[in-house]
Amino acid sequence: MKADVLIIGAGSAGLAAAVRAARAGARTILLERHGFAGGMGTASLVHTFCGLYLQDAETPQWSNPGTLAEEIGRRMELATGLGAVKSGRVWFLPQHPVEFAALADSMLREAGVEVLFHSELVALEPGWRARVACRGEGIDIEARAVVDASGDAVAASALGMGHMMSDSRSLQRPAYVCGVQGVAGEIDGLALAGWIIDGIRAGDLGTAATGMHFRASGRAGEVFATLDLAGMETGDYDPTDPRCLAALEATGREVAMAVVACLKRSAPGWEGAFISHWPARAGVRESRRWIGQALLTGEDVMAGRRFDDEVAVASWPLELRETHRGPRLRYPVGPAGIPRGALIAAGVDGLFMAGRCLSCDHEAQASIRVMGTCFATGDAAGKMAAASAG
Amino acid sequence: MERSCTAEEVVEMLREEGLVDLPAGVDGDADLFAAGMDSMAVMQLIVIIEERWGVRLGAADATREVLGTPASLAARICEGK
Ligand SMILES: Cc1cc2nc3c(=O)[nH]c(=O)nc-3n(C[C@H](O)[C@H](O)[C@H](O)COP(=O)(O)OP(=O)(O)OC[C@H]3O[C@@H](n4cnc5c(N)ncnc54)[C@H](O)[C@@H]3O)c2cc1C
Repeated sequence: MKADVLIIGAGSAGLAAAVRAARAGARTILLERHGFAGGMGTASLVHTFCGLYLQDAETPQWSNPGTLAEEIGRRMELATGLGAVKSGRVWFLPQHPVEFAALADSMLREAGVEVLFHSELVALEPGWRARVACRGEGIDIEARAVVDASGDAVAASALGMGHMMSDSRSLQRPAYVCGVQGVAGEIDGLALAGWIIDGIRAGDLGTAATGMHFRASGRAGEVFATLDLAGMETGDYDPTDPRCLAALEATGREVAMAVVACLKRSAPGWEGAFISHWPARAGVRESRRWIGQALLTGEDVMAGRRFDDEVAVASWPLELRETHRGPRLRYPVGPAGIPRGALIAAGVDGLFMAGRCLSCDHEAQASIRVMGTCFATGDAAGKMAAASAG
Repeated sequence: MERSCTAEEVVEMLREEGLVDLPAGVDGDADLFAAGMDSMAVMQLIVIIEERWGVRLGAADATREVLGTPASLAARICEGK
């Protein structure tokens, strides 16, 4: 197969990159190993878009107006009927993974992107030739430009090119999100916390249950249950190790089953509750990051630094989750620019990156990984890739 | 196990455990939920209170009245002794 632009991964960044490249006139192929786009926002049931709006504003103000971040935000509002919500100093948009997957299908179809689902990149050579595995068969794809939107910098790893990964202890912790239905009435997070504590005291739950919290999905009776995990279930946390990933998945299910069974017995309104769906995969916040022509740092983000060549704006605080005891938020003085070079690989032509694996340090990643910002960096990478292929 | 508990000790404990980001100079009436305490932090808080003061809070205590400020928490801990 041949394309102008090949995008690896159809998460929030890859979706935006593919739509933008195709709209710019490039023949675009989008590779995704799952059967739907959306990445963590669908496969891992992450259900709020952060980073779409400026911090501290009285009303929601788009931080990347005119980009796919705004377009996807607006289309999601129409799909769910829900608007932006303010929490402390920031705004976020509730989103539903079911709507997100369907919205992504429409946008990819409208833009004329060739989508290859159930296809995993396994090798890559500069120039560009990609080897993709689908159902035990290899497919070769030739392209003039490539965007790595895999979240895990798989292209850097495949090419043996410069990338980094925080050490096991400081990596942002993973979490397991599942869908629960049959819940009557409002969610009272505080009361549920109390019932979980009682469940731990009674010996029905382990202390891992203290990582559990809930948010109403916006649909009748449906709740998302999120369990923050230590990631150390089988030793050191390594989101690129399949044994570690297997332990995350199994632990997430085990704890969620026990917590929902406990709430069913004790919490008013939860008598008829049941787990209605598992995620396709446990949520991973951070793994490999690229080293590109420029490196965005946490200091840049905190100082609200702007760049002459910036291609997107980061507007979410540093959300540090190095322990599974909840987030620590660090608020920047204002929105920061993301320089063009943070989306361009060094030492090779026609290779771009976007989303949570772009070129930045651990602290900056704590801001730029949110989906609103991923849409914006995806949009920018798609535009650059189309221009470089044209 | 300590004998009584003051709002200052609760503030010190919250800082040591990093459960909420408290601004410098907060007093006993600071709103902990406004400072970012969420339901997960509440669960950890209840576990830590039992470890430090030997007082077991339960589902009935999981309210803003009990957990909302360092002072209200300290009062509940003293009561539980
Ligand atoms: C538990 C959790 C909670 C979060 N909460 C929020 C939140 O509330 N709001 C928010 O905005 N963000 C949140 N985030 C962050 C956000 O969800 C992610 O950082 C963001 O989705 C990253 O987008 P991405 O497109 O860079 O990568 P991903 O979403 O990881 O997408 C990468 C895609 O590439 C595919 N892929 C990878 N390798 C290959 C390959 N070799 N071949 C083919 N396909 C491949 C994957 O299957 C995936 O679909 C959260 C993350 C987690 C884990």
